[in-house]
Amino acid sequence: MNFSKIFNTSLIYATFRSATPIIYAALCAAITQQADILNIGTEGIMLTGAFAAVTVSYLTGSWILGVLTAMAAGFLMSMIMAVGHIRYKAEICAIGMGINMFAIAITKFLLNSVLGKSGTFSEPEIQAIPRVSLPFLTKVKFLNELFNNWCITEWFVIVLIIAIWFIFYKTVWGLRLRAVGQFPAAAQTAGINVNAMKYQAIAISGLIGGLAGAHLSLGYSKMFTENMTNARGFMGVAAMYFGSGHPILTAVGCLVFGFSDSIGARLQAYGVPSQLVLLMPYVVVIVTLAISMASKLAREKKRKSSLA
Amino acid sequence: MKATMQSLIKILLTMIFALLIGAIFILIIGENPLEAYVALVRGAFNGKLKIGTTLASFTPLLLTSCAFAVAAKAGAFNVGVEGEVFLGGITAAYIGINWTFLPKPILLVACFAGAIIVAALWAWIPAVLKVYYRVSEVCVTILMNSVALYITSYLVSGPMSAGVANAQSLPVTVNLTQFMKPSSVNTGLFVAIAVVVLVTLVLYKTTIGYKIRSVGTNPNFSEYVGISPKKSLIQAMMLSGALGGIAGCIEVLGVHGYFLNNFATGLGSNGMLASLIVKNNMVFAPFMAFFLAMLKSGAMGMQQSTGVPKSLVDTITAVFIIVATMELLFKFGNKKPRRGGGTPPGKTANADIETQTRTGVNLPSAKTTGTPTHNEGEVTT
Repeated sequence: MNFSKIFNTSLIYATFRSATPIIYAALCAAITQQADILNIGTEGIMLTGAFAAVTVSYLTGSWILGVLTAMAAGFLMSMIMAVGHIRYKAEICAIGMGINMFAIAITKFLLNSVLGKSGTFSEPEIQAIPRVSLPFLTKVKFLNELFNNWCITEWFVIVLIIAIWFIFYKTVWGLRLRAVGQFPAAAQTAGINVNAMKYQAIAISGLIGGLAGAHLSLGYSKMFTENMTNARGFMGVAAMYFGSGHPILTAVGCLVFGFSDSIGARLQAYGVPSQLVLLMPYVVVIVTLAISMASKLAREKKRKSSLA
Repeated sequence: MKATMQSLIKILLTMIFALLIGAIFILIIGENPLEAYVALVRGAFNGKLKIGTTLASFTPLLLTSCAFAVAAKAGAFNVGVEGEVFLGGITAAYIGINWTFLPKPILLVACFAGAIIVAALWAWIPAVLKVYYRVSEVCVTILMNSVALYITSYLVSGPMSAGVANAQSLPVTVNLTQFMKPSSVNTGLFVAIAVVVLVTLVLYKTTIGYKIRSVGTNPNFSEYVGISPKKSLIQAMMLSGALGGIAGCIEVLGVHGYFLNNFATGLGSNGMLASLIVKNNMVFAPFMAFFLAMLKSGAMGMQQSTGVPKSLVDTITAVFIIVATMELLFKFGNKKPRRGGGTPPGKTANADIETQTRTGVNLPSAKTTGTPTHNEGEVTT
């Protein structure tokens, strides 16, 4: 086995590339988590977004419209969840799973009936999200491999991580959001409209989830397949747990998952069976999640004992 | 009784609502909804073969819905039933192919036992992670489904492959009798019914079951009176896993006769739907499982005789579940929360956990449909 073939500079971008959809999903879950809502529906929101993006990009030939429609679709899905959970007191896990099932079914149904395809939809007319080429980087091979030809949404995710971090921890809105999440009764006493905050959090989460889907179908790939999210939304939720809702830590968690994914893809060339390669990221996610939760629990215990 | 009636009415209304939304979708694509639904029912019940197929798809759903409900009774949201079905199936296939030194009846029992043990152990992992490290079982079980799928897929395309184009194992040497040929319904149906009745009895008539239900309703209280919430939750998850394993075993031994790659896709999630729609009520869940099985097996007939794609059925069930989870939708009158009363278990549908007083040694029987909270020790506020 040739280690220099597996671990080289292009691995860094490969890691980031496969982590990006998960980062978007994780941010989608993180926002609601700050309001103490577990967004299990991330997967479904993402899938609808992916479908909307591809369809609109195919029909209009404009990726911007595709992305915007994807965000609108994500918003719509998240609103079903918001109304169900807040207004009609649906249990969040149950309605989240409902949203996921609905997304799988409705995308499949529309794929069959509107686009007349089954399984995969991949046409040359689909406009992908363009890649940013930086000509001045071509002179330095290392930087060129690392930073050139990123997709626009890949650059944008970095902006988004920082923006969300800023919103959470440096703005009044973020403070209120976290207050609602940590102690809703106290937040209400302080004059914060708890339900309005929850609606806003879920709405923004829907927009980001839609964007996650658009990136998956137009940036990461250039097609739509049934259930193409393939548990990425759940990985995002896992990453969110790993970073306990902090956007930057969460993104780091996603990079770990992306790393295992891209290592796996390279190992496949050395005769490791494809199924074992495919299951690796899932195992890594579960193990990382377990370890991070265990260490968090240990820290909490220590803190409590030092108080007493 | 009144509460039972009310929840029944609610389920029926939800069902009608979901079918209406489905009708709108059918209208949008330019077909006649009435025709499509008639074709759906005909596709499920017209003729011996179709009834048999409906019963055959009912068998695993009965078990998986029960599996989800059992875990939910203890407050765990077990999405991982599908993975348990896969692993139970592959274990049954392995034993059925390789342990030919055993006489047939014992081999059959061994297949079931193996499937139960492996699936229960698989469910043990998320249970332990949840109770000791507070890892969300929803996340872990979903991801473990993919792991189980890939493990079995690796086994049947590699070490256990039959060497044919499809990824599948060799045929097993012991089968459950198919009694309504040419459909694949088999004696596993009776096994499933017996198992579900048994599990319901365990939950409602034994101490273990009582503990499980009490932990699901209020873990803090249970701990206070000396029930270990951790132990009960692990037990419930393993029981849930075992049920999934039985479903996998029946599918392999009764329906296919070998392990077919990907055979269980959708079985776990549909079972979960059936259970969630009726708020994990063990009595209603089988009926809902039957309804979903009918939709599933009728879908093919609908697609063939009308222009409606069968994915519409999934859409309808998804709408069904979304509407069904909304507790306050279709709620009539002001139902006053009863305090402390000894409501017999299984009779109350919308238990309001917070309003129950739980003092004294003589517990009010645990309300049966406590919503699964995702954090242990935290009653939803």
